[in-house]
Amino acid sequence: MTEAIRIAGLRKSFGALEVLRGIDLVVDDHEVVCLIGASGSGKSTLLRCIDLLEPVDAGRIWIEGDEVTAAGVDENAVRRRIGIVFQAFNLFPHMTVMRNVTLAQEKALGRSSPAARTKATELLGRFGLADKADDYPDRLSGGQQQRVAIARALAMDPDVMLLDEVTSALDPVLVAEVLDAIRELASAGMTMVIATHEMGFARDVAHRVAFLDEGRILEEGRPEQMFSEPREEPTRRFLDRIIAAGRM
Amino acid sequence: MSGGREIALPNGTPEPAPGMPAGDRRSRLLGGGRRSTWVAVASTVIFFTVAGFLIANSSGWPEVRRSFFDGEEFAYAFPEILEKFGRNVFIFTVAEILVLFMALFIAVLRSLTGPVFAPLRIMAAAYTDLFRGVPTVLVIALLGYGMPALQLRGLPDSDLFWAIIALTLVYSAYVAEVYRAGIESIHPSQVAAARSLGLTRGQSLRHVVIPQAVRRVIPPLLNDFIGLQKDSALIAFLGYTEALLRAQIIQAQDFNFTPYVALAVIYIAITIPQARFVDWLIARERTKRQGGGGL
Amino acid sequence: MRRWILVAAAMTLLAGACAEETPPADGDTPSETPAEDQTAAECTDEHEADLFAPDTLTIGTGNPAYKPWYGGTTEAGSDWKAGDFTGDPHSGEGYESAFAYALAEEMGFSSEQVEWVGVTFNRSFAPGPKDFDFAMQQISISPKREEAVDFSAGYFEVNQALIANEGSPAIGVTTLAGLQGLKLGAPIGSTSLQAIEELVQPTEEARAYPDLDLALKDLKNGQVDGVVVDFPTAFYGYADVVVGQFPDIGGEQEQFGLAFETDSSLVECANIAIETMRDDGTLDALKSEWLEVDTSVPTFS
Repeated sequence: MTEAIRIAGLRKSFGALEVLRGIDLVVDDHEVVCLIGASGSGKSTLLRCIDLLEPVDAGRIWIEGDEVTAAGVDENAVRRRIGIVFQAFNLFPHMTVMRNVTLAQEKALGRSSPAARTKATELLGRFGLADKADDYPDRLSGGQQQRVAIARALAMDPDVMLLDEVTSALDPVLVAEVLDAIRELASAGMTMVIATHEMGFARDVAHRVAFLDEGRILEEGRPEQMFSEPREEPTRRFLDRIIAAGRM
Repeated sequence: MSGGREIALPNGTPEPAPGMPAGDRRSRLLGGGRRSTWVAVASTVIFFTVAGFLIANSSGWPEVRRSFFDGEEFAYAFPEILEKFGRNVFIFTVAEILVLFMALFIAVLRSLTGPVFAPLRIMAAAYTDLFRGVPTVLVIALLGYGMPALQLRGLPDSDLFWAIIALTLVYSAYVAEVYRAGIESIHPSQVAAARSLGLTRGQSLRHVVIPQAVRRVIPPLLNDFIGLQKDSALIAFLGYTEALLRAQIIQAQDFNFTPYVALAVIYIAITIPQARFVDWLIARERTKRQGGGGL
Repeated sequence: MRRWILVAAAMTLLAGACAEETPPADGDTPSETPAEDQTAAECTDEHEADLFAPDTLTIGTGNPAYKPWYGGTTEAGSDWKAGDFTGDPHSGEGYESAFAYALAEEMGFSSEQVEWVGVTFNRSFAPGPKDFDFAMQQISISPKREEAVDFSAGYFEVNQALIANEGSPAIGVTTLAGLQGLKLGAPIGSTSLQAIEELVQPTEEARAYPDLDLALKDLKNGQVDGVVVDFPTAFYGYADVVVGQFPDIGGEQEQFGLAFETDSSLVECANIAIETMRDDGTLDALKSEWLEVDTSVPTFS
């Protein structure tokens, strides 16, 4: 099995604040890795660094064997291969749902208009949003908007999908539909790195779970092992808090 | 007005919804109601009657009226000024089109990040500072009198040409700042989303940022356009007869200021529809996008 | 509802404004008929209460004051702007300045009792009280203007003339028709513009300038082929050539007059003075002393 993502020694600071203090991580093709950890532990920053949305201070990253942190790399090309979905959906409000999904296909991938529309229609249909294609994002619920965001990222046929706490901003009622969409992606074999607070979901869908604590991956392993018998003390404390908050 | 006293509502007025206070208290709470409307009308009428009365009875009023509001002079001046106003329309229409593009160009230059673009940013900032600082009439004079005086081959001599260039240069500086404010008001997450899809910086600007930014700044854009419409009169300084100059000529000839009032009427007549048009544009954007009861 | 209120407000304002419509007092009816053979000085004594400043004749004129109407040099510290082509009204040199002092003497003022104030062209006829007794700035008399001010009798008969620089296509033209294809300009506020519009009716519109300086600048640039100014100014050397003079506009001889506030009782006194000066040849003498005109310049036909 080939490596989809390899990260070695990744460090990132914002001014005086060091957020990532040496991350080492390998994600294989078709693998789903869930990142868990407290807010501020660096999950979002890690995902953004992988997608080259933030410049890294130290360390190296490889995507499908190509080093993307090397000098002279075409960042736009890298970002086309990685799909990322954010907590805040970030749909383009001045375009219809359909246009949101076709824009980057046409401009960044150079697909023809009809091909882009076909792909968009297929993806929107897959997520149950076919009838919303001509609406503007404001008319959709949060859950629907998030699913459009996922479709938009998928339309680029990425090698890897990164999901950054994509349900955290949603009403609990709407969370399920988004989680279902992600489950479906996982079962279709998409390589994914998912930052999430939804422990139940993580247990279901992840092949591996990594716990981030203060900028480092403190512990990682298969979900059964991580959630029932965590090895490290901070992991245990974190999981206890989650259970106490009724989120597991 | 003590609370709780019912006003008899006319037939056909719907009953207040359950839980809503009835009659008089309802009017006060909701800010509407027939009584307060009548009070508003009455106080307005009284105020303006008193104001009108005071003005009309001031000792200088007959003279001011003859000098500024002479009906006969108005009838004579209005058609002449209106005819010349067509030139103003030409000037500010052409200039505005040029301004809308040039200002966008300058705003984009200023918003480029990265050290390699520093010279462009500096030039754009210097341009903006220069042309906002120098009085518009001076720019027109410098170009309108100075350029032909240079006698450079290939440069047009026409007043019209240089006035339009001058107005374009000046107003591009102001409008560039308006665009810039619009661009900077777009949340960085929009750019992040665009870049994350693999769009280049330029593509993100063109498809994601600028369309949103421009929609946001339509009211201040109209503001500057209206200013430009008035400043089209500055070409008078070059001797080119447009509406203001025509008014000035008649005024000097007849010793009467009514032509200026005629010109003011024309300007108001064109400004009001534009303002309502922009209001309509904004309302349409809003309903188009939030029709489903926003999230 | 809001629209309702706006309409109501507008209507009441209009009603208030229109209600008090009193016809403006007719300035042409003097309140007193001057006594037969009264001198200007006696007349002024009678109406001295109407003077702006007691025992003073306050005259308003433009600043800068152009030659040949105002000559002499401005002293340091004077309010009047200095320049190659400008003068100081206090000097008594130049046609209007000399005329002013002669007029003042007729009306019973010594030269020390004459005060000059700088007024813009618009201020000479704007409504409201003035801070001078009359304005004198080569102002032409016209019936429409009489509604705003009270003019004295004419003190100078003026025609308009065309000036141009070497190389201008205007040189050598002798007919109005011949001027039609040319680019002409004139300062605003003068009847010079009217001369162009009514007598020449050029195919390309005349340029109207805020002041003479700007007109001359464009003449130098070649933006206009010729500038129209009043006859005496034409000879003052602002340009190379005086091409020709224009016939009377509207068939009537144009005259300069003094602009008084409407209903000023001093107008008759000034008129008596002007008539006296015309009869005893003073006006002609002033003309030949201060204005070099070459009457051999052809009139456009």
